[in-house]
Order: sequence, then C-alpha cells, then structure tokens
Amino acid sequence: MSPASSRLAGPQLFAGYLDPRRPHAGAYDEMFDPVDGVRTAYKRLHDSLEPLQPADLTTRAEALDRALVDQGITFSLSGQERPFPLDLVPRVITASEWSRLERGIVQRVRALEAFLADIYGEQQIVADGVLPRRLITSCEHFHRQAAGIAPPNGVRIHVAGIDVVRDEQGDFRVLEDNLRSPSGVSYVMENRRTMARVFPDLFAKHRVRAVGDYAVHLLRALRAAAPPGATDPNVVVLTPGVYNSAYFEHSLLARQMGVELVEGRDLFARNNVIYLRTTEGEQRVDVIYRRIDDEFLDPVQFEPDSVLGVAGLVNAARAGNVVIANAIGNGVGDDKLVYTYLPEILKYYLGETPLLPNVDTFRCWLPAEQAEVLDRLDELVTKPVEGSGGYGIVFGPDASPKELAAQRRRIRANPRGWIAQPVVQLSTVPTKVGERLQPRHVDLRPFAVNDGDSVFVLPGGLTRVAIPEGSLIVNSSQGGGSKDTWVLAQRASGEDAELRGRGLGAVKSDEASTPEQGPELNLAQQQQQQ
Amino acid sequence: MNWRLRVVHTTGYRYATAVTQSYNEARLTPRSDDRQNLMVSRLETVPAARGYRYTDYWGTEVNAFDLHTPHTELKVVAASVVETAEQPLPAVDATWSDVRAPESVDKYAEYLEWTTYVPKHRELGAVARSLRKGRTPQETVLVVSKWVHDTLKYQRGTTGVHSSAVDAWQAGEGVCQDYAHLTLAMLRAVGIPARYVSGYLHTKPDAAVGETVVGESHAWVEAWTGDWWGFDPTNDIPIAHRHVWVATGRDYGDVSPLKGIYSGGAATAIEVTVDMTRLA
Amino acid sequence: MLARNAESLYWIGRYVERADDTARILDVSVHQLLEDATVDADTASRRLLAVLGITPPDGTQLDVWTLTELVAMSPETGSIVSSIASARENTRVAREVVSSELWQCINSMWNAVPERQRAARRVGPHEFFTFVEDRAAMFAGLADSTMSRDDGWRFLVLGRSVERVDMIVRLLMSRVGDKPTSPGWVTVLRSAGAHDTYLRTYRGALDASRVVQFLLMDRLFPRSVFHALSKAESCLEELDRGPSARIGANAEAARLLGKARSDLEFLRPSELLDDLTGRLQVLQTTVREVGEAVSRQYFHAVPWIEWNNAEVNL
Repeated sequence: MSPASSRLAGPQLFAGYLDPRRPHAGAYDEMFDPVDGVRTAYKRLHDSLEPLQPADLTTRAEALDRALVDQGITFSLSGQERPFPLDLVPRVITASEWSRLERGIVQRVRALEAFLADIYGEQQIVADGVLPRRLITSCEHFHRQAAGIAPPNGVRIHVAGIDVVRDEQGDFRVLEDNLRSPSGVSYVMENRRTMARVFPDLFAKHRVRAVGDYAVHLLRALRAAAPPGATDPNVVVLTPGVYNSAYFEHSLLARQMGVELVEGRDLFARNNVIYLRTTEGEQRVDVIYRRIDDEFLDPVQFEPDSVLGVAGLVNAARAGNVVIANAIGNGVGDDKLVYTYLPEILKYYLGETPLLPNVDTFRCWLPAEQAEVLDRLDELVTKPVEGSGGYGIVFGPDASPKELAAQRRRIRANPRGWIAQPVVQLSTVPTKVGERLQPRHVDLRPFAVNDGDSVFVLPGGLTRVAIPEGSLIVNSSQGGGSKDTWVLAQRASGEDAELRGRGLGAVKSDEASTPEQGPELNLAQQQQQQ
Repeated sequence: MNWRLRVVHTTGYRYATAVTQSYNEARLTPRSDDRQNLMVSRLETVPAARGYRYTDYWGTEVNAFDLHTPHTELKVVAASVVETAEQPLPAVDATWSDVRAPESVDKYAEYLEWTTYVPKHRELGAVARSLRKGRTPQETVLVVSKWVHDTLKYQRGTTGVHSSAVDAWQAGEGVCQDYAHLTLAMLRAVGIPARYVSGYLHTKPDAAVGETVVGESHAWVEAWTGDWWGFDPTNDIPIAHRHVWVATGRDYGDVSPLKGIYSGGAATAIEVTVDMTRLA
Repeated sequence: MLARNAESLYWIGRYVERADDTARILDVSVHQLLEDATVDADTASRRLLAVLGITPPDGTQLDVWTLTELVAMSPETGSIVSSIASARENTRVAREVVSSELWQCINSMWNAVPERQRAARRVGPHEFFTFVEDRAAMFAGLADSTMSRDDGWRFLVLGRSVERVDMIVRLLMSRVGDKPTSPGWVTVLRSAGAHDTYLRTYRGALDASRVVQFLLMDRLFPRSVFHALSKAESCLEELDRGPSARIGANAEAARLLGKARSDLEFLRPSELLDDLTGRLQVLQTTVREVGEAVSRQYFHAVPWIEWNNAEVNL
C-alpha cells in the first residue's frame, strides 16, 4: 500500500484505494494525487464521504436504486427495461477546468457547423484541396439526399454530445463527436434530481451548477430554427416508439419542453408541408426534433420499407417548410476518420488551433499509417470509423493472436473503415464497488445546444463509468454505469443558478397568515366523555 | 447542323387496388450542356398533383409530387423540346498516368467505386485489362464499348430494374441499362472514371422534319479521359443528334426516371411510350 | 390531443378501475369462501371466473388459493396483475400527457407486484387486495389533484366510468343465482365499498331487491351504475365539439349511454328484479358497444403504413 493511500484513505471506505498493483495504475485519479493527497476539487466531497460507514453507503445506494426504478428511469437493452445504474459518488469538475472545456466544445461545434454547411453546399474545403474529396464521398453517413438543403437559421447541429476523456496527465481530450442524435442528457437531469434526494447534505456543502434547465435551452434552439413565417413554431419530438432504448429520454424531453411526442405515423406530408394528426384534426408542424436515424427518416429517400419515418419529410425540409433537428447527414461530421482532420477543419473555417486536443489517431486508409497500425496492433485500440456503443472496438493488449489476425484482415479489407489509437488510460473516480470505494475509469459527454446565435454547453454532462475492474469501456450497452457530474460555480460568481436572481416579492409574517383551525373539543368535554 | 427534337415520354403505374397515398420523384427533364440545349419542358401527372422541383446532388432536375386521393393508375407525361448536336471525340487524350494521378482518382472517386449495379468482378477485370494493352485510355473506352456491344445480345424485357452488370454478362443478354452497367464495370476495372447516363434515343437517323417516330428511353456511358465524353455501347455509336440526355450518376440507382412509394396493392408499370419528333 | 394518447388515457382509466374492482370482488368472495364452510369452493370459484370472463382450468378442483392465483397473480388476461401491467404500459407510452406523480404511482405499483405477491402467499391474499385497492385510490387522488380538466382528463374518467359500469354488472351477475335473503348480498355491498352507505340509506334493512336497486339506480352513490353512466355521458358531451344536435345525440356512444341511463332512471323499482339477468346482459352489451363507438369516433389512430416501393423499368 502506498504511503499516500494509507495516510489519506479512511478506515474502511477508501481502504486500499490507490493499490499500486491495480490495472492501469498510471491513470489519472481525479480525487487523489499520488503525492499531494486529495485534490482541492474533491476535498469537501472526500471529507464528507470518509466518515461514512459502509452500511450508510449501502442504505443510500438502495434508496437511490429504488428512486430510479419508481421513476422509471431506465434504458432498454435487448428489449428489457433496465435501470440505468447510477453511482453514489459524484464526479467533480472545477470552474476553471470547466471553462476551458466549454470553450473547446463551443469552438468544435462552430467549426463542425461550418464544415457541414460547406459539405452539403459548395464543398469549398474540398475544392481548395484542404481535405481529399474521397474522405467525404466515402463516408457512410454522407447523405447525398441532403445536398442543397439549407436550414433557415443555418444550424445543423442543434444538439451535440462531445465525448471527452482525461489522459494520464489529467488533460481533457476529445474522443469522439456525436452530431446525429446524441442521447444521455435525460440521465444528466435525472441523476441530479435523484442525488439531491439521497445526498442532500453533500449539495449543501458545494456550489453545484444547475442542469435542470436543459429543456428550456433546447426548446429555445428548436424554436429559433423554425422556418421564417412560423410566428408560434410548433415543435414536436419524433421517437421511433416505446421500444427504443432511449424512449425514456424522448418522453422526458417532450414533457419538459411541453411539446407533443410523436411517432412517424402521427405525422404526414402533403405538398411538402408536415402535419400532425390530432383528435381535433390536422395541425401544421414547423420543427421536428427527431430521434430517428437518417436511414429511417423518410421512406421516399432512404429505406423504402421503413415504417418509423414520415414519407416526404426530406423534400418538405428541402422546400423549407419544416426543419429537421439534428439535420440529415450530420454523420459526416462525426465520422472517426473525419475526426482526425479536425485541426485542419478548425484552421480552415475559424483560423484557430484546437483548444481541446484529439486523442492521437492513426488513419488506416493512409498506407504509411496503416503499416504502423498493423505492426503495432497488439498495443493499439482499433475502432470502426462509424458506429457507437463500443461495438467493434478491439483492444490490442487484451486481444488473442487469433483476434488480432482477424482484425488485421478486417483492416486490410477495408482500410477506410478503421482508425487506431494508443490505449488511453481514462481517468478514475472513486466508485462504490461492494462495500468500498474503488477507482473506476470514466469518460464525459457534455451536451451543447446551438440556437444559431450562441452555443450553450450544459454545465455538467453524462459521466459514464466502467464498472468491471480495469475496464476502459464505459458504454451502458457494455455494462457501464453513470455518475452525477458536478460543475462547481466560480466562487465569486452569481452563476449559482439554483439560487440566482431576485424574488418576486418579500414575505412579511403577520397574524393573518396563520392557517385557520376547525373547532376542537375542549378538555372538560373530553374528560366528561371518558 | 443541330437537330431540334420534341420528346413526349409517358410512363406510370397501374395498381392492383386503389392507392390512397403515394410519394413520387420523376427524373425526366433533359439538361443543358455544350452539346444539348433544353428549350422547354413540362411535366404533368394524372391524377393532377402539385409538383415540387429541385436539383439533386448529381445535378439532375427532380420533380417530386405526392397524391392523397384514391387512384388506381398514375400517369406521368414529360414533354420537352431540346436542341442537340454531335459530339466529336475529345481532342484531349489523357495518358494512363494522367488518369491514374492521385488528383484525378480523388476528384472522380465516386465514378471509380463499385456499386450494386456495377460490382467488382475478377474475370471481367481481366478481360478489361487485356483490352487495355497498348491502347490509350480513350481508345480503351471505344474498344471496351465495342466488346460489350459484341458480347451482349439486345433482348427487350430480359432484365428487371435490379439486375447488375455481372448478371447481364452471365446471361449474355440485356437492355441498354445492362450494356451501360457492363461498360462501366470494365472501365472502372482499368481505372477510367466512368458514369451512367440516362436519356432518350431517336430511332431514325434519316427522319424528316415534322415526322414523329417511336423513340426509346435509353442509357449510355460517359468516361473521363482528360475530359468527360460519352459513348453508346448498346449501338456502338458515338453520341450525336439522336441522343437526348437527362441525368448522370454512378449507376441506374442515382438516375432512376420514376420512383416512389405508395400504400396499396401491387403496382405494375403501364406501357411506356416515347414519342420523338424532329422539329428542325 | 393525439388520438394515440387519448386512447391510452381511456385505457389507463379502464385498467386501473378493473384492477381495483377485480380486487374488491375477489376480496369478499375469498373471505366468504373462508368463512362459510357450507359453500362449495369449486362451484363458487367457477361461477366467479365465468363472471370475470376468465377461462377456468379443466380438471383441477378450485379452492381459495388456486382462485387467487388465477384471478390475481397470474399474468393471464383478465387478472389483476395483467390489468396493472396494461395500465402501466399505457401510461408509459403516454407519459408526456400524464403527470409524473401519476406515472410514479402506477410504475411503483407495478414494480411492487412481485414483492406483494410473495407477501400475499405468506400471509394471505387480503394483503394483496388491500395493496391494489390502496394504490387505485392513490391513483384516483393524484389524477384528481394533478390533471388539468382537459380532454385528457375526460378520456381518463370516461374509461374509468365505463369500466365501473361493466364491473358492477359483473359483480351483480356473480350473485343473480342467490336467494333474496342470502348473506351473499352483503358481500356484494362490501365489494362495491357500499355497505356503510347502504346501511345508512336503508336503515339496515337488507334484501336483494334493495341491494340491486342501490347498486344499479342510486343517484348519489359514485359506484352505482346509474352514477357511472351519467358520468361517462357528461364526459362524452364535453368531448363532442360538433354543433349541438337538435334531435337525439350526435354520436353513437352518447346515444347508447343516454339510453341505458334513462332506462334505469325511469324504471319502476318494483320491476327491477323481473328478468334481472336480461337487464344485466343488456347493460353489458351496452358497455361493449360504447367502447367500440368511442374507439371509432376518437381513437382512429393511424396504423403503421406499409410502403411499397415502385420503380419503372426502362
């Protein structure tokens, strides 16, 4: 046991926390510095947790699970509803760390907006020879059907989820961009509500920035995206249906925005206008926040046998009568090969260098880099350029020679389809495992909302945690959990949204405010009746 | 001397039971370039529908329309007047190293890719490579077209919308669509960027002015050998007055003249007629 | 309001009421079986199953426990558990139009089912019935205090009222074979939660015709058929935004309900027991027809459209 851990760790909860023999011991631990002990950001949290008995923790964990199940906060996995596991220990981000992260995300979203507008328009970046044309045309999610569709306020990325990780030095790096329909924001909001119920005392000791007003920002961005002429834009949320894994989120967002949650069959197109069928007749729809993949959105343009979408939707958007959010074809922007060109993209459109670096990445479609990847396959992580959820990823160090050989064949057969990265030892945060707190690897997905004037980044985000010891795969479909993510408010700032602003009026106490009481039997009566 | 042609193309579907909703896209309007000039065009549907026009990614004019009243037949009539000219062989005859230069490969990547209709095939590739020997890219286009012309037997009604170049080659017969796809497969196999062209063919070379002849919906290819130029492998002839082009793309899938979705009973195509009249 | 959501709300109303009423009917029947050793458990159970529309299993002798398993615990259609699950599923697909409190009430009820079943198997079925009745009451209270009185509310109350008519009719059906002086009539009143009110209204005199009269025709008691019919009728009236009719009712559902209501309203109490079975059957048919008419009028939710691909060959 290291001297630091024996000195710092509480008698039970943190026992053996910084065991040097743990896997990926080089990872950055967000609570403990191996030399200086507890980091400032986590000081109060650590001090509050340390005196707790394991039994306390278990009681709270049970209360937490019950609260989640009763609220129906679940995700579907292979058709089964499961509670999304929420860990007890929050993840803390200081105000200054956050402001760096926020600036980096805003920069990225702005550059990617410009990139998508260009790609589905003039393709100037290709004409200028900055990016190879083949990079775009070979992209699986480059949808030629979307060419020439210009959203009225220019926004294509209404919502972005930028996945970031902290490397061994504690620096934030972007792992991937999600520009299609990033999910998970409902868990950010619900995790917070649930944590506040179970750990009210922790919140009292921290100034945590609020995440509850996400839907307000989203609705504002969606209304701002409406076609000109829609004075009171009618926004709907389009879901594939109740069996979709993120249905809970779709319904939560619709409820919080106070808009209709619809399925494809509730909508129809006539002469390039989209209508909603209601018990009172047809109602025109101006903005569709869709959570259906491009390929299923419109059977006229994509899969003809899709029953989830709305026939004629793409041309209605082309005609400018409805806005689809996020826009069709955004997948070009989050392709992992395009990701490797992000520095060029940033420089071309904004003239800036990245505020948030990428993770070093090898491109298998460049022969020189491919050779290196194939050579070092056993030490690299190889990922498909397209796809999410952790599917298809091969961890070189964990793979058998047979798996590596198979992977080598796959890369040779489709070099465009693969990228490779060195294993990033994601940072760790204390996580309840059994009766103790143990370091577990986490990532972070902050959510950004673009309303055309500014990009709002929700202070917080979805921290996903890999529960199995040593695991670096945090996806919920791979047995991961989540943590409430606390962005601390600046000490001097008024950004403490939960308490900010002046009240509507002052309350004076006076006699008249005492609630009235009904008649009571007096004592004498009671005694006589006995 | 230029020709002026009027094209009246009638197509559509007949449905087994009444269809209450259908959404359609027609790609039937000829385009303009240095060989061809579109003067007028009009598209009508029965039942009548309000059309919406846009230009797609490939530069093709699309007429989109949807129907919401029950109907058992959909008829689309596309009429246009175009001026056409001959297309001489391009003066530029690029070398193989020009064609294979990284810039060309990148710029025309989409026209070098394999698709469902134009799949990669080892044997076809070998034939194409043997034809290429000792020839410039331009000569290769001509010799490949000739080979396709000689290899396939023109047989109306032999192929459905969904048969590929390889299917047609193995069957030894096909229609103009198959001739075009087979040519594309072979040109792409030797690295010549090549694209599918859909359009119309006037069937009478010596037609008198004012005479209406039965034309054809037609397909041919264009190849890039320093410049884009077309050739008609079905008839083994260069592109000239009698060819009216409508759309280009990677294969048939990008240019299909009329496609759509509907809810209701099975659809069969109604008899397609193309009337072409030489006006000048 | 989306037709789909309207339909869900209507069915939430129906399923919650069905779970509640089934629990009530079963509760008293089970207790009667336990208290009165002279009753043949198998015959009584089969009669109850028939009334509830559950197919009785062949061959096995039914007793209190098997009856409870079948009607309450099994996931088969018609059981309490299946009603709870259906209510929850309908709430889940219409979550954006019901309040979070209501959703949590139903969801936690559904989540607690396995645990309550275990408890009931240990200490007796009454435990389970009380749980269902309590939750249903909580649901009604939350709906009352958290839902706007809009169309959504009307569909919910309509569903509840229609189901209530159906269940009271079934409850009476289960007893039509009893003698007018049978103690079974007390259980009927208890099932409906009407015992105390009945005693106060009729000053303790208990006989079959008054019990039937009370449950079918009382104007004030909320679980009487008359009251439920009137309630359903007024919901439909408020939902119907068409121009008001000069003659009769605009819509089939309103006409059916109005007719059933007025049949009861102007019936001589003395004629009530003549052909009681026939009368109950007519009511049951009415309920079914009302359900169909409402669904035709309001729930024309569009089915998924199956698109066909059409392409013209050259």
